[in-house]
Amino acid sequence: MLNHAIATLQAWFPAPAVEAHCDGPCGVYDPSSARIAAEAVLSMTKKIVDLDLPAAGDKGGQIAYHNTLSRYIAIKEEQAQIAKDEVLILWTDYFKPVHLEQFPDLHDTFWKAAKLCSACKVEVSLQHAQELMETVQKIHNMFWTSKSRDIPWYTAS
Amino acid sequence: MPLIKPTRLRSSRPRDWLLFLVCRRRRFRVTGRSMLPLLFPGQEVLVDPTAYRRPTGAPRLGDLVIAYHPYRPGLRLIKYVAWHTEAGYFLQGLNPAESSDSREFGPVTREHLLGQVVCRFP
Repeated sequence: MLNHAIATLQAWFPAPAVEAHCDGPCGVYDPSSARIAAEAVLSMTKKIVDLDLPAAGDKGGQIAYHNTLSRYIAIKEEQAQIAKDEVLILWTDYFKPVHLEQFPDLHDTFWKAAKLCSACKVEVSLQHAQELMETVQKIHNMFWTSKSRDIPWYTAS
Repeated sequence: MPLIKPTRLRSSRPRDWLLFLVCRRRRFRVTGRSMLPLLFPGQEVLVDPTAYRRPTGAPRLGDLVIAYHPYRPGLRLIKYVAWHTEAGYFLQGLNPAESSDSREFGPVTREHLLGQVVCRFP
């Protein structure tokens, strides 16, 4: 009877919330955002490398080539910046000193990831794009290990 | 200094319900996971809002408290008092991997403390 009355009270008059977490809802962080952007960087880098040069004097081909190349470069630039933003958010907002004890190379890993994002913006480097993916995968593993969850790494391509 | 973490929180008793009915206790509902394993999201607690307003009622290490975030007006947090410095009270979550607390926003003053958590509800 009393429990029923309390349950009714709780349902009719919800108590004000107190946050056990003060940075928005838990679980908003997810390294998959960085992974998607890093994959796009790798994909665009491959497309740029594989793009065939048009024949000399082929004006239409030249225009199409430059248009396509420009678009690939713009997407690569944009996605590399997104990957960098996502990585930095995880580094500065999610990971805390307690994680550093668990992953002593945490700072090196994130610093390397951010530098690789910059390199992928400046260069057309398959090696650096691939290294970015590998570093993001390492961050994925750190992140989910810190939450004691086994989330497999996968890529869209 | 070793941390005194709260490991238990009693359930409410008829006296707590009576104090709630005469407005001497306030109900709050916990959101988020940083107070796991002691408090889970959706759990309600009763708070004594006068606990730290008495001259002799200084917060003690290990107290569960409700506090206002020092830089985000109106945002209420539930944490425990990890230690006390001249600058104020250092508050932490029990689940440090998922807690934003004084490690980020620094110690809070006594004026920021809204009250002491005394029990679960019900």
